[in-house]
Amino acid sequence: MFRRILYVSIYRYKKGPDSPVNDTDSPIVALDDVRFSYDDGASWAVDGVGLTIRAGERIAVVGANGSGKSTLGRIIAALAAPDSGTVTLFGRVVFDGEAHADRYREARHDIGAVFQNPEDQIVTTIVDDDVAFGPENLGVPHERIGERVDTALRQVDMDGFGVADPTRMSGGQQQRVAIAGMLAMRPRMLVLDEPTAMLDESGRAEIMTVLDDLHAQGTTIVHITHSAAEAVAADRVIVMRDGRIAEDAKNDDENGHASGTNPLSRLSPTAPPDTRGSQENDIVSSSFDSPWRGFAEDARPSSPGSPWRGFATAAGIFPSLGSPWQGELSGESRTEGVDTPHTDVAPAIRDTATPSPIVTMSHVSFAYDHDHPVLRDVNLTIDAGETVAIMGRNGGGKSTLTRLLCALETPSGGDITVDGIAVARSPGRRCKPPSKRDRRRLRGVVGYVMQHPERQLFAETVAEDVAYGPGNLGLSGDELDARVRQTLDALHIGHLADRSPFGLSGGQQRMVAIAGILACRPRILIMDEPTSSLDVDAAARIHRLLADLKAQGVTVIIVTHDEAEAALADRVVELRDGEITNRNAQSETNPLSRLTPTAPPEPRGSQRNNTVSSFSGSPWQGELSDERRTEGVEPPDAGSRSDNASFVARLDPRVKMVLTLVLMFTAFAIGTPVQLGVAAVAVGAILAASRLNPVAVLHSVRLFLALFVVMSALNVFFVRTGTPLVHLGPVPITDDGVWTAVVYAGRLALVVVLGAVLLLTTTPTRLTDAFEALLRPLRRLGVHTGEIALVMSLALRFIPTLTGETKAIIDAQSARGGSIESGTPLQRLRALTAIIVPVFAGALRHAENLGLALDARCYEGGANRTYYRLLRISWRDGVFAVFCVLYLVVLFAVPLV
Amino acid sequence: MSISSSSASSNRASSNRASSNRSHATGVSDSGRWSTKRIAIYALFVALTMVTSFIELPIFPAAPWLKYDPSGIVCLIAGFAFGPSAAAIVSVLGFAPHLFGDPWGTLMAVGVALALSVPASLVYRRWRSRKGAVAGILLGAVLALAVAIGGNLVVTPIYAHMTVAQVAAMIVPILLPFNLLKFAIHGVVTFLVYKPIANLLRK
Repeated sequence: MFRRILYVSIYRYKKGPDSPVNDTDSPIVALDDVRFSYDDGASWAVDGVGLTIRAGERIAVVGANGSGKSTLGRIIAALAAPDSGTVTLFGRVVFDGEAHADRYREARHDIGAVFQNPEDQIVTTIVDDDVAFGPENLGVPHERIGERVDTALRQVDMDGFGVADPTRMSGGQQQRVAIAGMLAMRPRMLVLDEPTAMLDESGRAEIMTVLDDLHAQGTTIVHITHSAAEAVAADRVIVMRDGRIAEDAKNDDENGHASGTNPLSRLSPTAPPDTRGSQENDIVSSSFDSPWRGFAEDARPSSPGSPWRGFATAAGIFPSLGSPWQGELSGESRTEGVDTPHTDVAPAIRDTATPSPIVTMSHVSFAYDHDHPVLRDVNLTIDAGETVAIMGRNGGGKSTLTRLLCALETPSGGDITVDGIAVARSPGRRCKPPSKRDRRRLRGVVGYVMQHPERQLFAETVAEDVAYGPGNLGLSGDELDARVRQTLDALHIGHLADRSPFGLSGGQQRMVAIAGILACRPRILIMDEPTSSLDVDAAARIHRLLADLKAQGVTVIIVTHDEAEAALADRVVELRDGEITNRNAQSETNPLSRLTPTAPPEPRGSQRNNTVSSFSGSPWQGELSDERRTEGVEPPDAGSRSDNASFVARLDPRVKMVLTLVLMFTAFAIGTPVQLGVAAVAVGAILAASRLNPVAVLHSVRLFLALFVVMSALNVFFVRTGTPLVHLGPVPITDDGVWTAVVYAGRLALVVVLGAVLLLTTTPTRLTDAFEALLRPLRRLGVHTGEIALVMSLALRFIPTLTGETKAIIDAQSARGGSIESGTPLQRLRALTAIIVPVFAGALRHAENLGLALDARCYEGGANRTYYRLLRISWRDGVFAVFCVLYLVVLFAVPLV
Repeated sequence: MSISSSSASSNRASSNRASSNRSHATGVSDSGRWSTKRIAIYALFVALTMVTSFIELPIFPAAPWLKYDPSGIVCLIAGFAFGPSAAAIVSVLGFAPHLFGDPWGTLMAVGVALALSVPASLVYRRWRSRKGAVAGILLGAVLALAVAIGGNLVVTPIYAHMTVAQVAAMIVPILLPFNLLKFAIHGVVTFLVYKPIANLLRK
């Protein structure tokens, strides 16, 4: 606290006499009659907002989807200029009908902005470098950056993580790093746009604790949120409605009792994340009349202890759902149900009176590699019509289990039967994948809704997208059209049929994606985190769908982190370290008590009961299957900084990169065994100086080596010169042939080993630093070298993200029967399209978020930028250069001797 | 999504916005350099090229060592959407990770990608229609074919103990049909996916 006050005052002093002085009462943000439209005035996302924010305030901005709160946040954060009105930031008018770029730039330097998706705010693969990116852009002198980075990491309780890789962290940790990246720029105000929307419970608590601390230390905070519980922590709550400020009131005390009218009291927990300010409509407001209502009457198993009832009554957690939901659940007779046309999405119900197993897994085990078993001896039976929730920490095997059921993965052992189809059998040692025919049948039985299923949308219209799955299953013509229409109507999205799926809101997109799977009429529906990052209304719609499917007799398996969601299931299966522990959903203490909207967020490290703590470690709701995701990482060893690095590791990356490339290209000049020997000695020396384990290096390039050996071995048969050694039939094997094979394979091997040594001793950041430095002379020619280097660095950082997403989309589409490996060329091309379009859509989504994040970090390119890490040539580089020259002299002298 | 930069203003996606006064730009990123949005889009396209360049699909049974990778599609789309400079950057940077495993092959891959995507985007920039796209892809494919075969004549003898004449003998039976097939797939897929992607860009 003290330290912070001290530093704030020092900082103000540093601002110099020119900047307006801010005592705590002067406004730092003043908006007057601000309007903002995304569609040239046809509608107004922000419509005549006037607002004053004073230094030190902690403001929560809440409101429904499309209420304009995100847009307002961007205007406040100086990331977007409005269409009209006046915007004054820190006492200077930045917009008054036109944008004043210089003042905007200056204002932006004093504002930190944090966004919803933590992953898209990371710019590089080392925490220190990532946090330093903002200060570098601000032109903070090199010597001061380290101190800023350390302070910022300490403020978010991430000290010790400086050398860790943020792309491998939990969402909560990533978001804290993102906040640190802003704090390192010493902002006077922090604007956060739903920073917790993508996080799990523990991640949310982490962020709220950080915000509490920062506010206590005097930072002005504008927190856009859809969580009433989070809004309670603010001392002023602004409710946005239809682009206007509907209410603006102070919270008097920490319990949220406001003076006069408390906006929170009327704030229904409907405050969806909207990233784009797109106009949300339709689904949210559409009625919840169930098309399956008639069915529900007959088919619902009348178990008195139904978890539904407990859930619905426990909370009023979805008060907006009102009575239709509760009525349906409690089995009361309804009169209003008749007006909805009945269409069923799933196949007719079987006799639910005598449950029969529809899924059986016996002694199933699975491992991506030998050392890391993901599932161990899993036995699981699911009855037809059951709704089963699968829970457990990340890495526990949840996603793998569902992928096995879809035959997207073959177990290493055990038997799996799904609706009579042998999905996996292990008669001997190896487990056999299902036959093509069985696989095809399985696609008709099992529907697989991947995480964020809206990411698999690809077609030009909703109807076309929904038709993809049933079309792959052989439906066509009128039958296909009817199926699509029925499915859309049943989900109340019939009116969207001709729209582009990409123009819909997030909640609508998810419904369309789910419709695309339900259109195949699966008897078993698997959903992986079906409500993650959805707003409360959209999530309620999904939960309602679960009830309808259950009433229909569809077997539903949901993977979830959310206790409330799990409580909707008949049964919860918990996976822990790849093993199953069954538990009864209702026997636990009611999880809802922790989720009621008024409950304050839990401070980090507070007491949690046991049940919760076993889930709370699950940090990440990203798109990779959770088994490949790491848990929140531990701070790396202190000693892993480069103090004890090897000779090669400490070379200047520019020198190392250039000389390695020279060595690699010249290696192709090796033509004789003697030259090969010389080169091998040189590469061996470099390998020794790198102190890498030679076996590990060879292992990393083993695929190349195998290829080279095979390729070169062919030479043995084609070279006819030299002395024949043996005859294989009519083909003479000569000594020349053997030497040729050895030289060709050997020089290629040396090339890849050199490349591997470079990559294993140099971080991607250092490589891109070197790349930028080497490009710099081109700047004279007008080439944007700094920008190109940044593009390179960002690209490398996004490779794992895009790889994971691409894999997920391939799986999801193949679960809808789209495969590029079989079918006619036309079908394959279509399958390829269904993969490529969503992959591009994902890339563009990341790009949009990333662009904003770069703005928030004040990336302005140019000469003012400073560098956190300096490249310095040392004596080592001289030694290495001399070594390389000597080697090349010898290499080229050998043939002359 | 629009790129607020002068050199990209020719593309349809951005011209909609640029022509209106409602770009909501704060003006911070308009000072003769790349906007952050442009950097972000290039970065993601480069990343996509890198990811797809590691995919290897055997499409030509006669020469199993020649593998198809879809990265050329990304270069083509980058060029169509954001112009020739985007095509060039994506083509060059997208293959960089291969440089430290397969130096000569990387140079050749970059050359082929440039020959394919840059001319195609130049044609499409002048002639914005489906016909223009087809013409661009065809021109690009012809040039890329020439570079691919020329590159094989130079590079293959470096990797395998073959003379240029021996490689030349492979042109008609192997190199030509493989590359024709490869560019045909590139072209058809690009043609099919470009419209939905353009819709995404316009959003």
